[in-house]
Amino acid sequence: MAAATSTSSDVAKPFDIVATYNELLRSDPDLTMPIAAIEALVLLLTHSPSSTISETLDLLEKSTAHLKQSIPNPIGLSAGTDLFQRYLITTLQRPGQLGPAGDFNAIRAHLLSNGRLFIRRAKESRDKIAAFGRGFVRDGSTVLTNGGSRVVASLLQQAAGEKGGPSAVRFRVIYVLSSAKGDVEGSSAEPEGMETVRALREKGVPVATIPESAVAYSLGKADMVIVGAEGVVENGGIVSRMGTYQIGLLAKAMGKPFYVVAESHKFVRLYPLGQYDLPIEQRVIDFKTEEDVADEAKQQEQQTQPRTPDVKSPDSHDSVDYTPPHLISALITDSGVLTPSAVSEELIKIWF
Amino acid sequence: MPATSGPLTPGLASFLKTLKTNPIDTSIDNLISLLKRRQIRHSRSCATATAYLLRGVISASRTNDASKLIERVQHVGRRLMAAQPREMVVGNIVRRVLGLIRDEAEDDREGDFNLSEAGSESQPQTPRGLDDPTDALSGRHDGSDRGASRQPFSALTAAPISMFSLLSHPEAENSLPGTPISASPSGRLLGHAPTKDIRAEVLDGISEIIDELTQVDDQIAAYALDHIHSNEIILTHTSSTTVQKFLLKAAAKRKFTVIHAESYPNNHEATHATVSGANPHDDELLSTESFQKPLIALGITVILIPDSAVFALMSRVNKVILGTHSVLANGGLVAAAGTRVIARAAKVHQTPVVVVSGVYKLSPVYPFDFDSLIEYGDASKVIEYEDGDLVDQIDVQNPLYDYVPAELIDLYITNLGGHAPSYLYRIVSDHYRKEDISV
Repeated sequence: MAAATSTSSDVAKPFDIVATYNELLRSDPDLTMPIAAIEALVLLLTHSPSSTISETLDLLEKSTAHLKQSIPNPIGLSAGTDLFQRYLITTLQRPGQLGPAGDFNAIRAHLLSNGRLFIRRAKESRDKIAAFGRGFVRDGSTVLTNGGSRVVASLLQQAAGEKGGPSAVRFRVIYVLSSAKGDVEGSSAEPEGMETVRALREKGVPVATIPESAVAYSLGKADMVIVGAEGVVENGGIVSRMGTYQIGLLAKAMGKPFYVVAESHKFVRLYPLGQYDLPIEQRVIDFKTEEDVADEAKQQEQQTQPRTPDVKSPDSHDSVDYTPPHLISALITDSGVLTPSAVSEELIKIWF
Repeated sequence: MPATSGPLTPGLASFLKTLKTNPIDTSIDNLISLLKRRQIRHSRSCATATAYLLRGVISASRTNDASKLIERVQHVGRRLMAAQPREMVVGNIVRRVLGLIRDEAEDDREGDFNLSEAGSESQPQTPRGLDDPTDALSGRHDGSDRGASRQPFSALTAAPISMFSLLSHPEAENSLPGTPISASPSGRLLGHAPTKDIRAEVLDGISEIIDELTQVDDQIAAYALDHIHSNEIILTHTSSTTVQKFLLKAAAKRKFTVIHAESYPNNHEATHATVSGANPHDDELLSTESFQKPLIALGITVILIPDSAVFALMSRVNKVILGTHSVLANGGLVAAAGTRVIARAAKVHQTPVVVVSGVYKLSPVYPFDFDSLIEYGDASKVIEYEDGDLVDQIDVQNPLYDYVPAELIDLYITNLGGHAPSYLYRIVSDHYRKEDISV
């Protein structure tokens, strides 16, 4: 709650949920998008004096819609906002309770006073996942992974952490780092995941870093693929950083198990039918003729400042793809090791 | 299959005979050594022996306290499972018995749950008085599950809706033993026991499991006519009573052809016996089933083939029906060596693969390491030790089991009906309590 008060003091009087959300994500690198969204909603409730149920739900709905619109990729975020909203509604609808008004206040008070607790639980769920997932990483195995997923990092580090102890796992990691982006400004930045690579190497785990183009080549040396996810969709597929889908396809083609590590608060009610069915605008495939290129250059000259930040075209770093469930061997979540088809059941439990 | 013959051979029958007379600790040791020496090996024999033993354990323990019973069963269960970790049905039965005890303990508690929940007013983590109504409410709506999670043995917090566990009331998290909140229900668990005879209820439950074990094949066979049609060519493998009953049931009404792969070298004798209808002379199988008519007696054409001919014949086969040793939570299975080859060949020819298995073979264990599931048997079945020269010069291996991944299976038929492999997780969660998965 300390962060809550500090944010509210330097933000102007009307509560800005988008700014709060971004601030939360920025201030804590360990925070996932859904949790940041839940936190933002909790803060929103503390700032609004709404006292009736429908007023609160209405406020939540409006703010959620606003938040979703202002963020380029709201898939992960919507998992959090949906969960929050459903929790509120489901708890209120439970039969055999006291008078609705009294209830509501109690629930509200619970949500408002336990913001920190939710964050703590979200982080704890990573440890839980790591405990479940440890069985997958075995002595002598080679794990191929990609991206900067914090859950994968904690799983691998926990497996490596036992080094020297009675149950040290001696494994190797092939880390797929996104190759330097085509544009010049990205090349100076460190590729995502380098931090995990260093941490693992420090613990004595041999790590090989390969570019995305070498996945097919290297997969023959790997025993399994473990990836993280931004969102787990209803059919058990995942929305994850660009490049995960192709790793999934290659793993399937080579008969290697493909495991996804994700917290259950990342389950999102979405049923994409394919890559281009995601509810986000991605300009990954951008056809241009010479004429268009010239036009764009001209426009660039006219506009001194690059672009307004909210329309920023997601570069390859931010873009995501969809990995369909038939490529996924199992999902390692904080509620156990699930088959992809178990995801829909979890979602149905909260929605219906 | 060990060539056990003669009435003196230790096995299931001798174990069950001595169970009644021996003290329970002797029986436990007896079963452990039988499992270790592989003198009990069929899935169902292991399951039956375990169920009878646990029934003995429960009736011998003179307590009505659920937590003590759980502790006792866990202790015995761990020893049995350690004796033969690959015989997964042993663990399955232990888990089901544990689940039974937990269910009974909770039923017992449910009555006065709300009352005591309201009584626990001092919440260390929620200083506000406002929170108390929620506490009572949340206690009511998910009472049974949260109650379970508070038992000192729980490995996981079984929240009713797991996705909400993130946001739920902090009180639910205090499941650690020793906190004042968790102490009260378990204390009540002790004190409340006399109102109901938990032990008797559990014993009834175990008897139901034993009944299930005896009826399971007939229940599965009831689905046979839905799956076997006239003039079909069915391929099967090794001698499985479940498969045999399934086919016999269909044979009573329909004419079809069975191609039977013999599964040399581990089970070919039993397979030949099944096909010809000769008495298998296996003391473990010596039950009413072993005297039933073979398929040929019902006018079914049975073609016995060596395993190597499976692929060649697969193009003519309409359906593959397989028995199994155990089924795993991810939909994969461990079955007699050669099964994977058949499943793979069926996949190539797009032939449906149906696996018949009792629910008791379904294990909640997730196969992390497939190789560790496979047991290696007597190498002399491949090459006799009389061929001493050869045995010295080459390394002979005789794997008994195959791991078959879920994607090679089209349908599971259990005593509950037909299920897709991806649905098995659901049956697992219906039959085993989350807190018992790691016993």
